Amino acid sequence: MHIFLGSACHPTMIAIKPCRALLRPPSCSRLKACRRLYHSYEHHRTPPFPPTESRILSAALSHVPTHGFTTAALTQGARDAGYLDVSTNLFPAGPFSIVNYHLVTQRLALANDAPSTDDVLNNVSQNIKILAFRRLHANKAIIHRWQEALALMATPAHLPTSLRELALLSDELLFLAGSTDVTSSWYTNRGGLAAIYASAELFMTTDRSKDYVETEDFLTRRLEEGEEIKTFIGGVGSWVGMQAGALIDGLRTKGVWI
Amino acid sequence: MSKPTLWRTPTRLSRRLIAAKQPYRCLSCSFRLAQEQAKQDAKTTHFGFENVPESEKESRVGAVFSSVASSYDTMNDLMSLYIHRLWKDRFVRSLNPGLHPTTATTTSSSSPPQPQTLLDIAGGTGDIAFRLLSHATDINNDTMSRVIVSDINPAMLSEGKKRSLETPWAGSERLSWVEANAERLSMLDDASIDLYTVAFGIRNFTNKQAALEEAFRVLKPGGIFACLEFSKVGNRLLNGVYKRWSFGAIPLIGQLVAGDRESYQYLVESIEKFPSQREFVGMIEQAGFMVPEPAWEDLTGGIAAIHRGFKPV
Repeated sequence: MHIFLGSACHPTMIAIKPCRALLRPPSCSRLKACRRLYHSYEHHRTPPFPPTESRILSAALSHVPTHGFTTAALTQGARDAGYLDVSTNLFPAGPFSIVNYHLVTQRLALANDAPSTDDVLNNVSQNIKILAFRRLHANKAIIHRWQEALALMATPAHLPTSLRELALLSDELLFLAGSTDVTSSWYTNRGGLAAIYASAELFMTTDRSKDYVETEDFLTRRLEEGEEIKTFIGGVGSWVGMQAGALIDGLRTKGVWI
Repeated sequence: MSKPTLWRTPTRLSRRLIAAKQPYRCLSCSFRLAQEQAKQDAKTTHFGFENVPESEKESRVGAVFSSVASSYDTMNDLMSLYIHRLWKDRFVRSLNPGLHPTTATTTSSSSPPQPQTLLDIAGGTGDIAFRLLSHATDINNDTMSRVIVSDINPAMLSEGKKRSLETPWAGSERLSWVEANAERLSMLDDASIDLYTVAFGIRNFTNKQAALEEAFRVLKPGGIFACLEFSKVGNRLLNGVYKRWSFGAIPLIGQLVAGDRESYQYLVESIEKFPSQREFVGMIEQAGFMVPEPAWEDLTGGIAAIHRGFKPV
């Protein structure tokens, strides 16, 4: 699969120099402006945050267990990274930028230990479960503060960003799990998985079981239900199609000009 | 009858075209003369809609502000329908000046941070300075940070000093006043300022880029440049109302209340001449600052905008 997509550009074209130059990632200072929204095997991913921002935010994230998702954690992060208190002005969104940093970096980290190509082809739904649970596990260190993060994400000002991030996560999970659907189920899969993941995340904030076994069970049940609903909807769809076809045929035998 | 008309029309047209090509017509001559004059006197800058030599702008802006200093506050309230106070509050609150109270509770930092030095450029009347101090003191419990107010205009500075008597910081060490040109802040060392603010001032500077570079020089690495300035309105309907208000009502209010129409005519023209948000972000980046994302914050649909720049370490 990797080989197939990697050679989407004709092999001879890659050998030609000017074409190679065209394929090189553009060098621009505004990283966010040229962030790619698709998976490319040709280019390395550009880092999602400029070095200064990621230094401050990763330092701030280490203060979240004590200070929570607050301006205090951001300030401490700036100090630890060797910046001034006022440097937190680099983040107009305030504490939400720590949340966003966590979401983006953990989403991208999923690709680092994604299932190998052989597994990918075997069992997509099993892969989804493994990946989703791995992503949930990344919240472990800050789970006792995660409700604050959820509250920040639900703020009207930040809601579009958080929803977009959730959509990107569900896309990433499905892509890494090896889902290759290109029909309308592309949308339903992503929407359904986003809803399941969000509810599992909320469930995890109140989960006190060892190693979050209950969350895992919860996630498994929801995914199974998702599969059932998908099968049910598929069944209903084919039944409706069948009946409609039969109705039209029946009407035609009665001489209706359809 | 129709035949000759058809035949003649192209000839007339071609004659007209030939006539248009002739070089020395009155209109084009005067246009070219104007262009040549502009080339000769290259060092001009905007003063409202006028072009004036750079050397002259400083004194003319000075005259404007000397004349409006005493009625500055009343006029701002009337012109902006009190909204300028909200903008300034928003500006200072979003900057969150002062050392944050986490200092006392944690020991992770090797040395306690130095008290902040805040510089308010073109802040003669102290509007921003008093807000910075009260935010640092009341919100962040920081009683150490200092504010330096700088203005090129002595009349505005004395107005500010007069007003400072009604605040808790009258005669305090935390507030100092400097008369200086923002393009040459020679009394300040390199890397000595934490936060540089300029509210409704940079529009009047003769050389904005030089002022931005000077801001970059005086700021500490990691310091913030923050600017509150009139900007371009995005919504066309709001823009129509706003332009009608600023060109129709503001000079009139100036004439009636402050008895000075020209100064307020200059004010609205200088707002019109100020670069758009995007262009100004380009200028900030050119001076060496890093611009956060989103690059600016529009206030009241873009009538004013807050810009920030971060001096990289």
